Amino acid sequence: MVSKKETFITAIKEHEGIIYKVASIYTNDVHDRNDLVQEIIYQLWKSFDSFNQKSRLSTWMYSVAMNVAIYHLKKSRRKIATVPLDGQTLDFHDADNSEYEEKLRVFRQQINRLNLLDKGIVMLYLENKSYDEIGEIVGISSSNVGTRMFRIKEKLRQQITKNA
Amino acid sequence: MELDDLKNTWNELSTQVNTQQHLNASIINEMTKHQYNTRLKKIAYPEIIGVFICLAGLVYVVLHFWELNTAFLQATGIVAILVLLLLSITSLLSLQRLNTAVDVNKTYAETLKDFATKKIQFYKLQKINVTLSYLLLVTIIVLFSKFFSNKDITGSKYFWIFSFSIGYIFLMFYSKWVAKFYRSTLRKAEDLLNDLAA
Repeated sequence: MVSKKETFITAIKEHEGIIYKVASIYTNDVHDRNDLVQEIIYQLWKSFDSFNQKSRLSTWMYSVAMNVAIYHLKKSRRKIATVPLDGQTLDFHDADNSEYEEKLRVFRQQINRLNLLDKGIVMLYLENKSYDEIGEIVGISSSNVGTRMFRIKEKLRQQITKNA
Repeated sequence: MELDDLKNTWNELSTQVNTQQHLNASIINEMTKHQYNTRLKKIAYPEIIGVFICLAGLVYVVLHFWELNTAFLQATGIVAILVLLLLSITSLLSLQRLNTAVDVNKTYAETLKDFATKKIQFYKLQKINVTLSYLLLVTIIVLFSKFFSNKDITGSKYFWIFSFSIGYIFLMFYSKWVAKFYRSTLRKAEDLLNDLAA
């Protein structure tokens, strides 16, 4: 029989991209990001029992990860160093990833001009989530998501005009 | 960069993240045991130390209150006790704020509302804290000169000129600094709340 821990580990391995992407969007450096990844996984495990099968596992993971990211914003300003995991490394900031880091920096520069609500919506939109699913995760109606997406596109366009 | 450009960059980044495996069973298992509270204790040290200092000062003033032999010194003692008590409470409130557990059952919008509201409250608390600290500084100078040298310096005009001029300069610079430093953060928090209410 598969234990709860084994089911959890399989789920995390299958969806680890979600965790890394959310952490990348809400942090500005690799150490802070790794710290957030640890925290998201810890909170996902703590609340794994509360996951009901009504929504998709990925939807639930986005929701938890984005909430944890907001709480993390409060704490990360205190500049506390991450507690490293014994004998293991989570750091994926190596030579091969310098290109990734640079792209991420430019991407973040653009997306950080949006407020936290729009930032979350855009991230889910970029993840090809439907308006219904975005609404479910964010906690607003799908029509509101549509209206906001329209405004976000305008904001981004205005930003380009300003910079031109 | 328009939304389509953002999407292209995002897709590229996603491909990179999805092709790399960062986590294995052992790392995930370790993370589920990770005691975040131990880290929180380290984060909370400044607040804990602050509370102890305030309480130690409070106990000292209370125990030596009988030495304050004029009405003015007694009033200063009472102000010091109240300020030390208020500073302890504000530090404890900061600690409580830090210890707030992540409520994963809330939606993202609810969490954001909570975040922006608490941020505004925090900065208001900071402003009160600094004003209280200045008040404490003046009362401590008065009380300590009485407790340790048995001198009542409130009769000295130099003391009043010095404490008021320094206090005025300090508060003026501080309020300007607060306004400059926090203006954009506060505006962002308020805008976010307005946006969420829309």
